[in-house]
Amino acid sequence: MASEIWTEKYRPTIFSELIGQEEIVKKVQSLTNSLNIPHLLFAGPAGTGKSSLALIIVKELFGKNWKENYLELNASDERGINIVREKVKNFARTKSLGNVPFKIIFLDEADALTPEAQQALRRTMENYSATCRFILSCNYSSKIIDPIQSRCAIFRFKLLENKDIKKILDKISGMEKISITPEAEELLYEGSEGDCRRVINLLQSTSSISPLINAELISTIISSAKPKDIRVVLDYALSGDFQKSREKLLDVMLKESISGQDVIKAIQKEIWNLPVEPELKVKLTEKTGETEFHIVEGSDPFIQLQSLVASFVLAGLGK
Amino acid sequence: MPETTTWTEKYRPVYFMDIKGQESAVEKIRDSLQKSEKGKKAIILHGPPGTGKTALAYVVANETKSEIFELNASDLRNKRKLQEILRPATEQKPLTKKRKIILIDEVDGISTDRGGITELLKLTESSSHLMIMTANDIWDKKFSELRKMTELISLKEIDYKAIKDLMIQILRKEKKFIENDVLTNITLKAHGDMRAAINDLQMATSLPDPSQILIDERNKELDIFSILRMIFKGKPTNAHLKIFNSINKPLDEIMLWIEENLPAEYSGEELVKAYELLGKVDIFKRRIYRQQYWRFLVYENAFLSYGIASSKTSGKTGFTNYKRPTRILKMWLNNRRTEKKKSIAKKYAQYAHIGVKRALKEFPTIERVFLKPGVQKELKLTQDEIEYLNKNN
Repeated sequence: MASEIWTEKYRPTIFSELIGQEEIVKKVQSLTNSLNIPHLLFAGPAGTGKSSLALIIVKELFGKNWKENYLELNASDERGINIVREKVKNFARTKSLGNVPFKIIFLDEADALTPEAQQALRRTMENYSATCRFILSCNYSSKIIDPIQSRCAIFRFKLLENKDIKKILDKISGMEKISITPEAEELLYEGSEGDCRRVINLLQSTSSISPLINAELISTIISSAKPKDIRVVLDYALSGDFQKSREKLLDVMLKESISGQDVIKAIQKEIWNLPVEPELKVKLTEKTGETEFHIVEGSDPFIQLQSLVASFVLAGLGK
Repeated sequence: MPETTTWTEKYRPVYFMDIKGQESAVEKIRDSLQKSEKGKKAIILHGPPGTGKTALAYVVANETKSEIFELNASDLRNKRKLQEILRPATEQKPLTKKRKIILIDEVDGISTDRGGITELLKLTESSSHLMIMTANDIWDKKFSELRKMTELISLKEIDYKAIKDLMIQILRKEKKFIENDVLTNITLKAHGDMRAAINDLQMATSLPDPSQILIDERNKELDIFSILRMIFKGKPTNAHLKIFNSINKPLDEIMLWIEENLPAEYSGEELVKAYELLGKVDIFKRRIYRQQYWRFLVYENAFLSYGIASSKTSGKTGFTNYKRPTRILKMWLNNRRTEKKKSIAKKYAQYAHIGVKRALKEFPTIERVFLKPGVQKELKLTQDEIEYLNKNN
């Protein structure tokens, strides 16, 4: 039975269906055909096909039996490297079925592991290399320690381009009997930020309203999914009411469970629309960047964001 | 020649006009004296220590040319003693023209078990003299009867400015000098307690380095409100660096208190500066956790105390009602509220080969799709989870 969730329904199942990473697909396909697969490291932004490619590999290798020979883990969801090791150990204990001499372990978001945990992971990879191949995925390969990088074949996935997104949209709209206006297509591409999952989710959400998809519908969906009240937070700050601005900020973050990083992203985009002098916009952007840096580094996002909002109060005074 | 009298005695108010910072209490008691023939027979002055309750009673005696007959309720532990000492005093008709005032200090120390309260009630009823009682806390249930029979006059913590003004007057009269910063900090530390302020002042003038008085304070346990006051209102002094030694609260919690109350005190550039420091404190906190290098605490400490105090451009006066930090509680409540959302995201994450965090991020985009019955079945959503979705859309 086909899934009703389009990202799953239209997930590529064979190499030729994977859109936007042609170079990588060519190489990986020949590795798979020769049954000579090293450990792989897939690096690249979200929604560019890393998990999909891993799934295609195991389906090619194991056919119907792929589920028995495939373990999928997410490093940021598992509580600590020990859990990961335990699961790997249990999975790797039995030999693979069929004529492929190894099983596949896919570790998503491997860059969420600390360098120490990655050292432990490296040991695990070595211990089970006779029976298992690892496919690691990460957003930034620089966050993966060198010893792991040197043990893997590295593939860098790129953001999907406009033509790639268009291909996907055309395919789905044909199958689902919906129509998308060219302007809507353009908006979908902008909203996707090169992320295939996101563009499909946007499309499906919009199509649940109407099968005739125009720009207006798309922008409604995009804006309703955006942290709406960020502008309100900033407006309070600019008008000098820090207390209200702060209250609203906490509200936005909690009620809509928006992460600090997403709030920062929204603020950074909104700066250009604010009624302040150009040089102040640059100053605010600089401060925003600094704040984002601290949040990414692991600071308490609410404290860092309050500090940022306070500088918007100053900007409101023209300083 | 060494000082023999304490300044608190020496500068005790004599007339109503000498009483600083309690204008409304003074007015109330004057009103009450004028109609005392018809009004209630007893007055209870209540308020925190050092706000001038006993002093006010003596001023009343002086202004009405009465004689004070003082009793301390903590001395009167039982009924027998109360009868012995109090009854003759109340029943005695004035021999001379001079009126009498019966003063019962610290009435909240009176014992309930031996009928002390009952006796006190009887006395209040039968007394032919004006009775004045003082208490820190009069809201205990055991005083409910007493409260009905008496006029309650509340004395508030004395305002910062009133305390400081009086201290300056005293210094002038004593021909002594103390730096303004130290004076400010003594005032802040007093926390509305005039007696404490004057005692500290007298001690400070006798020290070779008057600011010593502030450092010595570290042995005494301070409450979080005094700490906030010292940081937000006072100018930075080296005493600030040790301020957190005198409170039994972890630094993380103090940080939350400061974060909560910062915008109530600072604005504009001060606020930006202070928040920048708060952000730095947080960065050092993280570094400690990561590297287990505890010396970084020094920086957390310095930024949080001296740093925040130094961020303001001008001294702050007046009373600020500091609030308990609410963020952690709000976060906790919210987590409970969004539990359903998380469990849905988790199911979706597994299904769509992504992490839970990523699924939460996609949630607003995909939420509409989750409303389809087919999708709900596919993800094996529970009834609760479906209800959550329906309520939100």
